[in-house]
This record gives sequence, C-alpha cells and structure tokens, in this order.
Amino acid sequence: MQAGLTFVRGLGRHREASVFAMLAAVAIYLSFASDYFLEPRNLLNVGRQASVVAIVALGQALVIIARGIDLSVGSVIGLSAVVAAVLMRDTGSEAIGLTAGLLTGLACGLVNGVLYTRFRINPFIATLGTLSIARGIALLMTGGIPVPFGGFAEFVGAGRIFDIPVSFLLMIVLAVVVHLFASRTVIGREIYAIGDNPKASRLAGVNLRAIRLFVFAFCGLLAGLGGLILAGNLASADPNLGMGYELDVIAAVILGGTALSGGRGSILGVVIGALLMALLNNAFVLLGISAYWQVVTKGLVIIFAVGLDGLQRGGDDD
Amino acid sequence: MMQSDRMNEAAAPDAAAASAQPPLIRARGIAKSFSGNAVLHSVDLDLHAGEVVGLLGENGAGKSTLMHILSGGLQPDMGTIEMEGEPVRFGSVAEGIAAGVSFVHQELSVIGALSVAENLHLGRMAKTGAGLVDFRLMQEASRALLERVGAGHIDPRQEAGLLRAGEQQLIEIAKAAGRKPRLLILDEPTSSLTPHEVGGFFSYVREARAAGAAIIFITHRLEEAMSLCDRVVVLRNGAIVSERRPAETNRQQLIADMTGKPAIYEHRPRSVRGGEIALSLRGVSDDRLLEGIDLDIRKGEIFGMFGLVGAGRTELLDLIHGVHRHKAGTMTLFGKELSLRDPSQAVRAGIALVPEGRKTAGILPQHSVRDNAAISSLRRFARGVFSDRAGDAGRVERHRHSLGIRMASDRQAISTLSGGNQQKVIFARALMADPRLLLLDEPTHGVDVGAKSDLYEIVTREADKGLTVIVASSEVPEILALCDRVAILSKGRLAGVLERAEMTEDRILTMAFKEH
Repeated sequence: MQAGLTFVRGLGRHREASVFAMLAAVAIYLSFASDYFLEPRNLLNVGRQASVVAIVALGQALVIIARGIDLSVGSVIGLSAVVAAVLMRDTGSEAIGLTAGLLTGLACGLVNGVLYTRFRINPFIATLGTLSIARGIALLMTGGIPVPFGGFAEFVGAGRIFDIPVSFLLMIVLAVVVHLFASRTVIGREIYAIGDNPKASRLAGVNLRAIRLFVFAFCGLLAGLGGLILAGNLASADPNLGMGYELDVIAAVILGGTALSGGRGSILGVVIGALLMALLNNAFVLLGISAYWQVVTKGLVIIFAVGLDGLQRGGDDD
Repeated sequence: MMQSDRMNEAAAPDAAAASAQPPLIRARGIAKSFSGNAVLHSVDLDLHAGEVVGLLGENGAGKSTLMHILSGGLQPDMGTIEMEGEPVRFGSVAEGIAAGVSFVHQELSVIGALSVAENLHLGRMAKTGAGLVDFRLMQEASRALLERVGAGHIDPRQEAGLLRAGEQQLIEIAKAAGRKPRLLILDEPTSSLTPHEVGGFFSYVREARAAGAAIIFITHRLEEAMSLCDRVVVLRNGAIVSERRPAETNRQQLIADMTGKPAIYEHRPRSVRGGEIALSLRGVSDDRLLEGIDLDIRKGEIFGMFGLVGAGRTELLDLIHGVHRHKAGTMTLFGKELSLRDPSQAVRAGIALVPEGRKTAGILPQHSVRDNAAISSLRRFARGVFSDRAGDAGRVERHRHSLGIRMASDRQAISTLSGGNQQKVIFARALMADPRLLLLDEPTHGVDVGAKSDLYEIVTREADKGLTVIVASSEVPEILALCDRVAILSKGRLAGVLERAEMTEDRILTMAFKEH
C-alpha cells in the first residue's frame, strides 16, 4: 500500500508523463485486444472524437489554472449550436449563423465572468446556474426539436483534409496557439499568477477582475466553437447537444495535470488528457462493453484524476 | 551547561534545589539532517521546571527543527532525550502532548467557523449526560482560560474567525494552557500582539513558571526575551553558540551571537535634498476607519507610519495603493491627482507595495523565484502581447546581486527559500516595477536579524537614489532605525508627525495611545 502510494505520488510529479503513460498503456492493450483498433480509420475517428473535448478543455484549463471552474460548457455547446442553426435557417446566411454561434458562446462566458467578478458569486454556483439557463434557452428556441445544420460547419465537423479530420487539425492549431498564449504572453503568465495566489497577484498589480473575466469569456468562446463543430459533425443542432460534456472536459483538464487548486497546469497535458478520454470511449465500443459501464467509468476516471492531484499535494490541506 | 540563576524570582525553586533533581528535559547530542543538509549538529539542552528559556537565532538556525524534535513532531537522527531522568522518545505530537509537551506554533491554526470555546476544547469537548456537547461547561472553562492568558475580554461564544490575528494568537496560547503543559514551547507568540496583550501574556508565562512549568520562548524581539526569560540560548547554524543571563548581556551582544554582524538598529544620518513633494494627502478618508488625513511626503524621504493594531496603518497604505477607494479628500502623486480603483492602476502610476504577510499576500508559492520577481513588471517590459522572459532573467540576476538574495537558481520555487530571502524577492518585484513611491507594510515581519539589516540597507540605498519610501511598522526600533520622519496614527486619525530630532520611543508610543 505504502509503495503503491509512493508510486502514485511519483507519477504525480510528472503529470504530463503520467497521463501519456496511461494513454500508451490503454493504446497498447487495445492493439492486442482488438484487431480493428490500429486501423487508420479508427485512429482518425478517435482523433475526431477527442477534438471537441480538447478544444473546449483548452478554455477550461485556463479557467481552472486561474482557480475558477466552468460547469456550463456542455450547455453552452448546445445553445451556441442551436442559435447558429436557427439563425442560419431564418436568415439564410451561413456567415451570420456561424458568427452568432460563436458570439453566443462568448456572451455566455462573459455572463459567467461578470457573475463572478462583479456580483462575487462563486464560479461553481454561477456556472451551475448558467448551465441550466443556457440549456433551457436552447430548448425554448427549438421546442426541443433538432434543427438541421450544414455548410462550412459540416466541413469542419465531419470533413477531412488528406484523410485527417478537419476538427482534429483545428484542435492541433488551437492547442499550439493556446500553449504559446499561456506560456509566453503577459496575460498568460498573469493567469497562472492569480491562480497561485490571487491576493498577492492583485497587490503586485495584476488586474484580477479583468483576467478572470477574460478566462471565462475565452472558455465560453471555445465552448461555442465546440458546439458548431459537434453540430456540424451530426449535420444537426440538437438542443440537448453537449449534455454532460462538462464532465469529459473537466476530466481531460485534470487528467492532464492541471491542479484544481489553481496556478499549475500545461496545455500539452490537457490535449493528452482529452485523447485519453476519447481512447477510453473507443475502448468500450471496440470491446463491446455496455455503454452504461462507460458512464460509470467516466466518473471513476474523474475521481482518479482528482485523487492524483490530492495525493500529489500530500498533506498540504490537513 | 550553565545553570540558570533565578535569584530575583521568589516563586521559583532556588537554583540549588533545581540542580539536585534531574532536569525536566535533558537533551543530549541531538542531530538532524534533511536530505543530506545537517540542520542540527549535536545540540545539548537542559530545561528545568520553573524556568523560562529564550531561544534566539536567525531563520534557518534550526530553532523550529529542535522544537519539533522536543515535541515529537520530528525524530532526531542521533541523540537522546530524558524527561526527569527517564529516557523518552515521542513518536508523534500526540505522544508529546500526552507526556505534557505543548507546542504553540507561529502559524495560527484557529478554526474560523467554530466558536472560541469550541476551538479551545477541540478534540476534548465536554459532554452532557445525554451525550450532547456541553456548551455551558465549555464556555465557563473557556472564560477562565482566556482570563489566564490576559484575553478575558474575548467572548467564548464568538466566532473565532472574526477575531484579529493577535486575539487568535491568544486563543492558541489559551488552548495550550488548557492542557496544563509541563513543557510549553511558544514560537513567536507575540508577533501579532498589541503591547497591552503582550503584558497579559507575560503574566500568564510568569504564572505558568511559578506553577512549575518549563517554558521555551522563541522570539525575534530581543527586548521581550531580555525582560521575560531566565536564560537566553542562541542557536546559530544548527549549534548552540551561547547561553546568557539577561542581566549579564545586552542587545548588541545577542545580535552578535546570532549573526556575527554589528548592531543594526543604528540610524545612519541622511539628508533629504530638495523640497519636491512626492505624495500629498488632503482630508483623505475611507468610510470605515480613516478620517481627514493630511500628509506631505518629500521625494527621497523615508517616511515612517506608526500606529497600534487597528490604528489604520494598513488601511491608509491600501488607499494609496488602490486596494480600496478613498471616499473623501484628494491624493496627489508628484502633482497629479490619483483616482485609483485597483492596485493595477497604482502600479502603473508608479506606486509599488511590499505587503504585510509574506505567505498570504506576498509570494506566489508554486512559482519560481524569477516569476515571482517579474510579476509586477510583466507589462512594463512586454513586447506587444508577449512577455520578455529572457530579459526577466537578466533583471532578476541584477537584483539578486544588489539585494543579496541567496538561492541556487532563479528557477527554483520561491517556497524553498528562507523567509528573509523570500522577502528580498518581494522587494525585487517591487523595484523591478520601477516605482516612484514604494510602500512597505511591516517589511521585516518574521525575517531574521541578518536579513533585516540587509533590508534596511536596501531601503536606505534606494531612498538615497531618490525613491520615496513609506514604511508602515509596528516596531518602534525599526521606525527609529530607518525613518527621516514618522506619522503616528491613532484610531484612524493622524495623531501627529515627528521630525527626526523629535523621534524617541516614548514620544512615539505616547502619541500612538492618544485618544480622540
């Protein structure tokens, strides 16, 4: 037991390496357990499935590094897709629809940020509220019936360039951009600082409110983008789209080594975390295990990931 | 080991009787290393029932490690501990407590959401016949305990989190007192107490001594050690370098024991050239405490701000730094009116702060030394949206030299540095922002004498270069050592400003106690 704990703590010190090791372990197991796993078609499919979770997780990671949390991303995915599809249908303009979808995500993020920074509502509660409100609006706008969706979004969601899913390529580009942003820009470094010690950062001259507002707005924007990709993939904007996605997204962030307590985390880890989540989903399909077990496993993975975080910090809280 | 001499204390057993019996605690050859670094080398220490021993030393001298070993929190690598002649080995803090050793840590561990009475009885709450918590009994017991440590004014039913830091400190001491310890270890118990509270606390210590307890008193305040202790032990680099009786020593000698450096509280005469006003306050008020503050501070001046706890020192610095908004009056910095809504605006206007409370308000604990130092000046040196990481390295390196920061690399986590070095990094952070006005709130709180002397030198040097500095401090010797003038606050108002020639400890304290 003691040795086991030490091992887990050791893993904790190199979280990117540890999540990568888990990814490799699952992949190696699947390559033996299933003939189909290593087929390029399947691997590319895993990449596509990972991409939406990863893109939204990029925003969520910045929120969590800044010591916040955004539970509303799943609903924002749904609402953005619905707004885009409805406007596209009613105006006949693809540009208006897509822009409105992205702006919906941004607006939801800004609302979360304002609730936190101006009204001082704990982000857990504030985003739990917007989770419900955004989903409700999506259902009201559509009467609960999916709206057909297509065009450019369908290309991004379902298309391929040289056989590689467009959404996967987009995810790689965004991950590189967000990585550079987080590690090289002033705002990026201030995000880490406020997550580490908000009071000290404020007194050192970091504009706490502005940075907090920024990370929530950015997370909302990426959730909106995720909604467009997901609906594009299905060629349909279902008002229930993205339900439960917050769990996958937060799991990917935490698995990737981001500390829930803020101030620490890497973008590379988040991408690997999202790939691992997608790989686990794939495993259930390939091995023919009941989808209900998949739901249970997701919960176990999130508890495991947060447990790793707790063990790494050892007895700091006690 | 030198026997202590307690001739002046009628209540204590006399020295001859003490030497006849084995001491309460006899530690021999205590050694401890952490990952290859020897922190204690073969320390011998005797503690007798009915004596107060002062333990002095710079941060990192090994005081805490030695105390953790005596109280069971750490196991020595070598050496033995005897209690009244019997060898003992405390495997845990709980075993230490059971044997009568209580350790009051410097960090507060009061649970804010519980009442004072519940805090005092944590882990041993009284129960009624029905098995419920007996609040009435606990409150009565709490009142008696609080009375003993000089905190009789605290209501046991009050929520502990609402109390000031000093009052919480007294609760910690009362908690230890409730265990009727035979050896009581107090780690900087007075750092957040008002002079009045210190008096009450001292009488408790004397009472516990008279009742036969041995007390170890760790402090950075030499006056307190001299007035309270029967014997003063100085630890340096993991070894005991001197044991002296207060009557036979003085500050200079003790500081020399601790550091090997000359006295630090001597004011270096300096003159402020030119009459340019850097900061001017007119009728400044907040809506809570401060009222009608008028001040003019000259460029290049080191301006002290003294006041008792609750007088409004920190509140005034908060207004000048934009943490809170002033509600009335005007503030001007070099002729330009300040209207600050956030510290970020203050930093942009050239006002930097070294805040009180290094751990809570100063360091970014998970960040490296370099990132900690650079955080205030990221925007100043940014190239477009990108921060100048390479340039940060050079700037930190320069400040490492000019401030004498001891570290292996600027990539190491700041939490691995000693308190004094951490504070120097916070100074570097403020200086890298290139301020025109530097605000220091309790700048040497909890740093050792060596680092203190370095920090005084740094402040004086920067002021000589033309930087205007405001030093808020609760330590009169610090004000006397550093400042060209001092403003004294009392209950949110300005009680007066003293020129260098008028500054004496007596006058400063008298003004601070002035009622309106």
